[in-house]
Amino acid sequence: MSKHYSVGFSISTDKIQRFSVFFERHAMFFLSVILSSVSLVAFMVYYFNGFGLAYNDARSHLDIGRRVVEGLKPGLAQLGSVWLPLTHVLMVPTVWSDFMWHTGLAGALQSMISYVATGLLIYLFLRELGASMIARLVGVAIFASNSNILYLQSTAMTELLLLATMTAGAYQLLLWYKSDNIVFLIKSSFWIMLSTLVRYDGWFLFGFAALLIFFYTIYQKGYWVAEGTVVLYGTLAGFGIGLWFLWNALIFKDPLYFIFGPYSAHAQQSQLEAAGVLATKGDWFLSLKFYVYALAYNSGAFTTVLGFIGAFVMWFNRRENIRVRIASAALIAPFLFNIIALYLGHSVLFIQGLSGDTWFNIRYGVMMMPSLAIFIGYLVDRVRPMRGLIIGLLFFVMFFSITSNDIVTIDDARVGSSQKNVTEVSSWLTRHAKDEKGFVLISAASHDAIIFSSGLPMKKFIHEGTGAYWKSATESPDRWARWIIMRTYSEDDSTWRFVSRSSGFERYNLVGTYPFADIYELKPEYMADLQTDAVLGKQK
Amino acid sequence: MGALGDALYANTGNINMKKEKIITIIFFVFVALVLILGIRGIVGNPTTETINNPIWTSDGPLELSPDRGRFSLMYSIAEDHSVKFSLPIARFTTPDLGISPKGEYVSLFAPGVSFAILPGYYVGKLFGVSQVGAFAVIALFALFNAGLIRAIAMRLGASIYAASFGALAFLFASPAFAYAVTLYQHHISTFLILSSMYVLLRWRGWWGISYIWFAIVLSLSVDYPNLFLMLPLGVWAFSRVVWFEKDSHGFQFQISLLNILTVVSVVLPLAFFLWYNAAANGSPLQLSGTLKRAEAIDEAGKPVQPQLARILGLAELDPNRKKTAIGFFHSRNLLNGFYTHFLSLDRGVVNFAPVMLLGFFGLYYVFKKSITAGKVLVGIIGFNILLYSMWGDPYGGWAFGSRYLIPSYAVLGIGIAMLLEYAKKQYIILLVCMALLSQSVWIGVLGAVTSNRNPPQIEILALEKISGHEEKYSFDRNEQYLASNHSKSFVFNTIGYRYMNAPTYRALIAGLVIAMCALLLGGLLFDKQKEKQYE
Repeated sequence: MSKHYSVGFSISTDKIQRFSVFFERHAMFFLSVILSSVSLVAFMVYYFNGFGLAYNDARSHLDIGRRVVEGLKPGLAQLGSVWLPLTHVLMVPTVWSDFMWHTGLAGALQSMISYVATGLLIYLFLRELGASMIARLVGVAIFASNSNILYLQSTAMTELLLLATMTAGAYQLLLWYKSDNIVFLIKSSFWIMLSTLVRYDGWFLFGFAALLIFFYTIYQKGYWVAEGTVVLYGTLAGFGIGLWFLWNALIFKDPLYFIFGPYSAHAQQSQLEAAGVLATKGDWFLSLKFYVYALAYNSGAFTTVLGFIGAFVMWFNRRENIRVRIASAALIAPFLFNIIALYLGHSVLFIQGLSGDTWFNIRYGVMMMPSLAIFIGYLVDRVRPMRGLIIGLLFFVMFFSITSNDIVTIDDARVGSSQKNVTEVSSWLTRHAKDEKGFVLISAASHDAIIFSSGLPMKKFIHEGTGAYWKSATESPDRWARWIIMRTYSEDDSTWRFVSRSSGFERYNLVGTYPFADIYELKPEYMADLQTDAVLGKQK
Repeated sequence: MGALGDALYANTGNINMKKEKIITIIFFVFVALVLILGIRGIVGNPTTETINNPIWTSDGPLELSPDRGRFSLMYSIAEDHSVKFSLPIARFTTPDLGISPKGEYVSLFAPGVSFAILPGYYVGKLFGVSQVGAFAVIALFALFNAGLIRAIAMRLGASIYAASFGALAFLFASPAFAYAVTLYQHHISTFLILSSMYVLLRWRGWWGISYIWFAIVLSLSVDYPNLFLMLPLGVWAFSRVVWFEKDSHGFQFQISLLNILTVVSVVLPLAFFLWYNAAANGSPLQLSGTLKRAEAIDEAGKPVQPQLARILGLAELDPNRKKTAIGFFHSRNLLNGFYTHFLSLDRGVVNFAPVMLLGFFGLYYVFKKSITAGKVLVGIIGFNILLYSMWGDPYGGWAFGSRYLIPSYAVLGIGIAMLLEYAKKQYIILLVCMALLSQSVWIGVLGAVTSNRNPPQIEILALEKISGHEEKYSFDRNEQYLASNHSKSFVFNTIGYRYMNAPTYRALIAGLVIAMCALLLGGLLFDKQKEKQYE
């Protein structure tokens, strides 16, 4: 370069090194501060624009947590079945507060903490892979700036908690592979155990990691050591699964209730299959296609492509330690799980354009986000001449992602099958039932969103989980329920199923008909016999 | 020999200069000849009274609205001395007709192409072929592009044969040919990109950097998204204004004060850009593409909605909807865009120009020669593919192949040249390349001599509803057109039809190109043999 007519300044190698060391030493702190700030800002944005509670499932999760601490029959049994319990258990310390309940913060808090934790784990994972500081920061940035991740971390959904626990499990597994220190395997087991209590994706990771551990150990140390290692791992990591079977056996008298019960995914999928909309069942290609689309819509098509290239580079890089390559295979567990689940019909995805005009469960595509971030960070590190170009192109796409407001999980929440605009029903309840005595008979399984949105205390509602109250109210609704909320003529609504067969139903007026439910109110002449206090006391 | 000589000649050390000169002249003459054979047009100077006649529009050379939109503006400037359209011209321009804030009809396209073709229009008018003259300017840019690809490839180490092969592959084995013989922005955009690339490779001084800024700002007037395509070149040029060097003591950051002054070169193209926007669109910063759109005009001259758009629901639901320059790009379109550009039957590179895919492998060899050049070239492809995959209409409207990827085809042409050069001992690669090239040329020439009026697959059902019969949407639509002895080539329609039918005409052109490529491949092999002889 010509130095004619140029000005410049220099930075000494010594200063740069000192800065690098300082930054390296405090990187986790800086990242924690930055990620926490971003998390908080994102939560506030979605709280104030109302999207934080758009997901029907988010409202249900919050209600489940609330029912544990408040209601006609509070207690751990309210954790229910089908949905794994960890999310709701973690809400218990805060959800007793009406503010924490109704803002969604009781659930969002764990998502936000998980968001920060996952970002840090990505950094650590890449550090263990020997990636440079820039590559680590790129990996974290890819995850942290993803608009769907930012949205979901502001909600009371389970995805971020699952990502954090799974990534922690994969990270500790990597450390075990590298060091052969059993403590890391125990830690990995712990985190995977937690993931098995968040979502069933964790169960797949449990099995997948077991295979990785077994086949690696048998190759390195022989069968008996492999067997012992897998038993140790399986006992710890599978503890949560065992607990869940036990829970279902104790509470619902059937250890497989969560699989085959009336509110299980299996039941839901059976209905969908009967309606002819379970397109991916039995079709590998379609299952792969649907999930790749979900992946691309959540993570970005370009990010997905780069991620797969990064994975390819990592796994076929002969200069990379074989242990690292095997350990990092745990990162594709979510990808395999979702495709297998779609193929078996245990999961359903509606992709706009592929399966009609709506979205459903599109957020499942976000499960690979930490993995893709790690793969891309690795790619950026290993293909150094292209580093600037890759980062430039990623920023380019991110720019348009922001300007075009490309957040598919919000679309899913707002216009897909995951949304329920129950404002009319809940507003009616708030106006008419808030300051009046009397219970509301409602199916929580069908109308949790109404319960949440009404703003009324949980003890105002008689639902399936209230034991004797529910039994009594469904047999004699006119003695227990001043209002009944149900979908008339829908056999899927358990309230309708029981109440329509009760003679007491004749004593109600239909006072409102709305898209998701109808409202019935007890006729005034029967109010004298109505029970308005919680007289059944503590139930076992 | 100077810059021109360097642009023309390879310094292989194995072929003497005279031979190189002959090969170069043959190359340019050949390319010019084939382009002339392909240029679309009919004899005559269209007027306001005749321009809406189907012989100029749907049956003629100005078959699609992008052609007409740019021709309209040129015509308005040349004949009416105004950037605003008279009613006949406005009607001619639909459905891509803009409405200025004052309610006047103006162009929806960036003005650069229209101004660039003015000289060709005037010259053509003298000979009674004004439209052909206008189109010939685009063909000239295509010729320049072929030359630049060749020059860049040779700069990067390809022999004259490999470089020439790569250039021919770009121009004739891809949809680039179909857009070299009509009135689109792609070849001018590609010219600005390639010339900037060549300048950066060839020169390091003040003038070179000035040209880059000039070209970047000028490219905005050709097509607004060019700003993004030129970004890698801008970054490279910027690295000559601000750079750092590493030595044993640390990092030295340098800023060249002289090179900062090069930014002065943007004044003229920027002034033009702002002037045009103000004159036509009402404000210096109002881009043409963000104006309200009139898809059709009724008898009274008022905008209305046409039938196809009604059926498809493609017409603007809210004509008052505010459009922004970046609002046309959505990251969610990426997946569909990727598919459309590469795999789809109606536009995919795999179907229309499979030989281009070999260029990706060749880019690896560019990196071996120059990491910076490799990064810039890959960057251009990256921005091109990503940008137009995010574009709301990746199909390019009614088009032949993926026209938005023409800048990428140019880069891939360089890649093909490098692949051939470095793999010239691998006969299987040469064979595969020749086979794919032959197929691609066969399709590329088809597009050039017929029409670009291929609907995207998503519009087919609606189209069939209107027409009442099956509609094709890939190059089989062109085959159908050709089989009925139709061609839009000016040469065919004036002279050629007397001696042969349209399919034969196409076969002749394709045969010539394939033969020339085979000769170049032979030259490459023979050159290798000669090297062996001297070893």
